[in-house]
Amino acid sequence: MTFNSNNLSISRPNYQFWVIVVALGIASLCALLSLFAEASVAVFWLVGLAFGVTVQRSRFCFTSAFRDFFLLGQVRVLKGILAGLAVSTIGFVVIMSMSSPNPAFGSPPSDANILPVGLSTLIAGTLFGIGMVLAGGCVSGSLYRMGEGYVASWVAIFGVITGLFFLNQTWNWWWHNLISRETPVWLPAEFTYTGALLITTIGLLAILYVSVWKERKVSAGFTMPQIKQLTSDSQPTNSISEIFSYVRRAFSKEWNPITGGIILGLLNILLFIRFHPLGVVGEISRWSTSLSNSLGIPTPHLEGMDLLGACAPILAEGASWFTEGFFLNTGIVAGAFCSAMFAREFKLRIPKSPIRYVQSMVGGIVMGYGAGLGLGCTLGAFFSAIPSLALNGWVYAVGLTIGAYISVQWLKKFS
Amino acid sequence: MSENQEAEILDVRGEICPYPMIRTNKELDERDPAPLTLAVLTDHPPALSTIPPEAMKRGYGCEIEEIASGEWRIQLFK
Repeated sequence: MTFNSNNLSISRPNYQFWVIVVALGIASLCALLSLFAEASVAVFWLVGLAFGVTVQRSRFCFTSAFRDFFLLGQVRVLKGILAGLAVSTIGFVVIMSMSSPNPAFGSPPSDANILPVGLSTLIAGTLFGIGMVLAGGCVSGSLYRMGEGYVASWVAIFGVITGLFFLNQTWNWWWHNLISRETPVWLPAEFTYTGALLITTIGLLAILYVSVWKERKVSAGFTMPQIKQLTSDSQPTNSISEIFSYVRRAFSKEWNPITGGIILGLLNILLFIRFHPLGVVGEISRWSTSLSNSLGIPTPHLEGMDLLGACAPILAEGASWFTEGFFLNTGIVAGAFCSAMFAREFKLRIPKSPIRYVQSMVGGIVMGYGAGLGLGCTLGAFFSAIPSLALNGWVYAVGLTIGAYISVQWLKKFS
Repeated sequence: MSENQEAEILDVRGEICPYPMIRTNKELDERDPAPLTLAVLTDHPPALSTIPPEAMKRGYGCEIEEIASGEWRIQLFK
């Protein structure tokens, strides 16, 4: 293949035009949603959009945080995740202490992501970790990459839907043999809020210490090369173009993952104040059951599922397709799409090698199965569970780490 | 650009992490003799922060240039 750097007259999309079109589109859709559906749906759509923009701009990738620790000794995104967890933990404690002021008595907050914890949590996290590294993105990561134009991520999400199908068919076995015997462990019920907060802080600081130690050991002394951009943005010539230049600035450079993590933490708090923490798998599970039902394969009655929170699928028969989760998930795709357009990074990315489609599909299936078993992905069972002060979040994280490690060893050996 | 350099291109466009980095490392590690220059074409922005450190560990210098909307060329050289 030949490559000529002189022949690069690429037409850039007209920036201001797109900003106006997208802003008007989003505003009118929100207005429509709040008129014709429940107003809460518009909140989920907006949080989804903000999530999509944030992860696109900060290249926030849960998978890379777990994978690159082992593969490269890089901890850029891991630090962002820790920042996000720290921020959302504080907010979650405030919210939960209002609904459950005496954690030792009564039941834990029902909307928080507190789940039965045990071997099933560890297996689920490990499967998820293996799958996400193979597929090149976790569930939320693949959702936003769908919006950026990655064909492999469309395949991965289809894999997740398939994996959730297999999980739903086998769920009752797991329920009878494992999950029904496991109980949730909510740290404040055992150690009060202060104790739980202390344990969480120590845990996060310990991971921060290990990651900074690793970073210093592996990548000390490297300076990243500057990226030569194709065109520098022109100076604004009038007030309107100056205002647009503020928007443009946010999209001309990538954001620090720590900024990204903090914004995600704040979005999570925002959603939990009124509704429940972030999570995308329950909705995809609903897509999976709808799809299999329409193909004539009924989903068995999922035993015990109605007792569980987080991303347990809500299987209301004949309910509207346009649920809160639907708008959160599609909002993530749409937000990442708009962000990639503004940043001039949108592109249809089609892998040439057929093996990549197999990896995405298989990774998606394994990840989907794990997400169903653990009742959540890196968001619901991890990023929302640790701030819920639930032990299952930490056990799931251990599983993710083990799974990522296994997958990295395979990748090193076989590709 | 010389004819020689044109041949030293690794096109990993369309690929998602970690595959662009793995393929680049493979190219640098397994070719005998190791390439003196290699231009890696990618459309996966996260690869811009994974490929350079790995190449620098192997003693390569590195320049990154945007070549089109959402496409970059990572020029590695000894």
